[in-house]
Amino acid sequence: MKARLIHYGSLLLSSLILFIAVITVLFFLLELAPGDPIQTLVGDVPLSEAFRAQITAAYGLDKPVWERYVLYLGNVFTGNLGFSFGTNNEPVLDLILSRAGNTLALAVPAFLISTIGGIILGSIAARTRKRWLDGGISGGAVALFSVPNFWFGMLLIMVFSIWLGWFPTQGKSPYGQPGIGLEYLVLPVITMATSELAYKTRIMRSSMIESLGQDFVDTARSKGLSSSHVLWRHALPNALLPMVTVSGYSLGYILAGSVLVERVFGWPGMGLLFIDAINRQNNMVILGVVIVLTVVIILVNILTDVVYGLVDPRLRAQFSPQRTLPPEGRQDRQSDEVAA
Amino acid sequence: MVPPPETGPTADAVTEAAGRPGLAGGTGAAGTTAPPDGAGAPPPVRPDAPAGAAGRRRPPGTERSPWRVFLRKPSTMVFLPLLGLFVLIAALGPLLVGDPSATGNAELLAPSAAHPLGTDHLGRDYLARVVNGGQISLLVGFTVAVLCMTIGLVVGGLAGYHGGWMDTLMVKLAEFFQVLPGIVLALVAAALLGANVFIIVAILSITMWPAVARIVRAEAMRISQLGYVESARAAGFRSARIIWSDVLPNALPPVLVATSMTVGRAILIESGLAYLGIGDPSHPSWGALLNSAQAYMRDGWWLAVAPGLCIFLVVLAVNMLGDALNDAYNPTVGRVK
Repeated sequence: MKARLIHYGSLLLSSLILFIAVITVLFFLLELAPGDPIQTLVGDVPLSEAFRAQITAAYGLDKPVWERYVLYLGNVFTGNLGFSFGTNNEPVLDLILSRAGNTLALAVPAFLISTIGGIILGSIAARTRKRWLDGGISGGAVALFSVPNFWFGMLLIMVFSIWLGWFPTQGKSPYGQPGIGLEYLVLPVITMATSELAYKTRIMRSSMIESLGQDFVDTARSKGLSSSHVLWRHALPNALLPMVTVSGYSLGYILAGSVLVERVFGWPGMGLLFIDAINRQNNMVILGVVIVLTVVIILVNILTDVVYGLVDPRLRAQFSPQRTLPPEGRQDRQSDEVAA
Repeated sequence: MVPPPETGPTADAVTEAAGRPGLAGGTGAAGTTAPPDGAGAPPPVRPDAPAGAAGRRRPPGTERSPWRVFLRKPSTMVFLPLLGLFVLIAALGPLLVGDPSATGNAELLAPSAAHPLGTDHLGRDYLARVVNGGQISLLVGFTVAVLCMTIGLVVGGLAGYHGGWMDTLMVKLAEFFQVLPGIVLALVAAALLGANVFIIVAILSITMWPAVARIVRAEAMRISQLGYVESARAAGFRSARIIWSDVLPNALPPVLVATSMTVGRAILIESGLAYLGIGDPSHPSWGALLNSAQAYMRDGWWLAVAPGLCIFLVVLAVNMLGDALNDAYNPTVGRVK
């Protein structure tokens, strides 16, 4: 119990340090950036000195860097992400939250489809005796993993929207209507899910193959248990462990990928907000989006760690801090990739 | 590189040949006389060793070198030439196809004999644009991979061999870059610092090196426990020398696999950035071509097909080659019997 407390304590602490490090790096990166946010804000028109001074004071740009950094850091922890440089000067957090729902409408289905689909396809590929089936699934997974997903989305639009006319090409609902139209959701969700589905299928396949080769599977078989019982009750729970880690990380990748997918489909989510902010040099919004994303990813990572500790019987039995301290207990995508 | 006339199923042969436990990568060639990269040294095949299916189980010490196994895999035979073709086109193609920014043709011409890939919305020959775009994509992909491998070998080697604070520092740094997906960091940095090829290569290398370094670190930790490193230490060699001549060569195969994956990911991220408009506008890469193709999906479908297909094929080729290399060196993950 004590080991567990120490473990989660150090996990929280290192997450906090990581979070502050991300904010710090980004803040000073923005400071170092060339270009003039005030000119960008006003647009491509001549700027009077008086007006410039007025804006500088209004946004606090006249204060020294350190003061603004400390101020910003304090604000972040109280949930104040600053104000957009844009026309309405909206609070950045409100701006992000107003878009977050649209992004989650894509990301959550994509996450579920890719995780469940990956587990099923990977298990089938690992277990089947038909070489063509395994070859088809594995080959398809490598192929989909190698497709740039924004291009995949463009292809889907060209085939299913322009050519066949089944789905709308752009947007989230008919013009002027609030909410999200179901037929608008299909193609972006597929686009977002594919590369993660491919990745998870690969991981699941190799993890299942490894699991099926373990002694306890032989033991279960030799007890005369049916092969489906052995697969579902003995091999699968063990093979799912790497999937816990991979799924945790995949949420971050799905959210980051929304930048591209939302651009392809003109989907007004956080990704489009981010791109707009970058094009307009709207620094507070850029920082805000990245901070929200970081918070989500860090929370998911902590959750992943907790879930991992709960589901792995070896960790339940003998909880030793070394085993799950990141990153030894977890693998990143690249090392999973090599193991795959 | 003509292999001996043996026709047994390659994958099975590898599984048999190196079916030793606990040798995940790196020491696949330990039992043979050939060094890991020694394509020039053929493994000794006993004259009485039966060929064909009967020869699948080889006597100890006569296993094929993983490098040869890699070269003989069907996927290698397809994708290595394919990748070579793309490299060749990127290197020499721009000399052959003419000026990619010359206008004057009819606009949005469908592919024809005169313009094999059609023309774009300004009447520019699309073949010339695609060929020139490939130069940027491949250059970025391979340069980033080489840089990542170099940084990864140095940092990962030091961290894994020495452990201690170096190790902690590396792990923390790697964790930092792992929190934020590379494309987000690259997007912010490229948008802020400018978007020429050098900056993009630098940013991608900075965000992607931990993937390689982690592999090197794990391998270095494993190898530094082995007997020959201990004896080198006992013999009084300096650690830099031990890392250079004992640890790194043996860590190389899994590192090459990770590096090949880095090529693919770098090309994908670069094309994503370019698609979002982050890139050098005077030298449009494949992703940038897709960016301008977006507006013409209805009237010029070919503009969206060719660059995307090129990205897909190159990334597929490096990923398949990485897989094949991994299978050859690390055949423990085989099929269920």
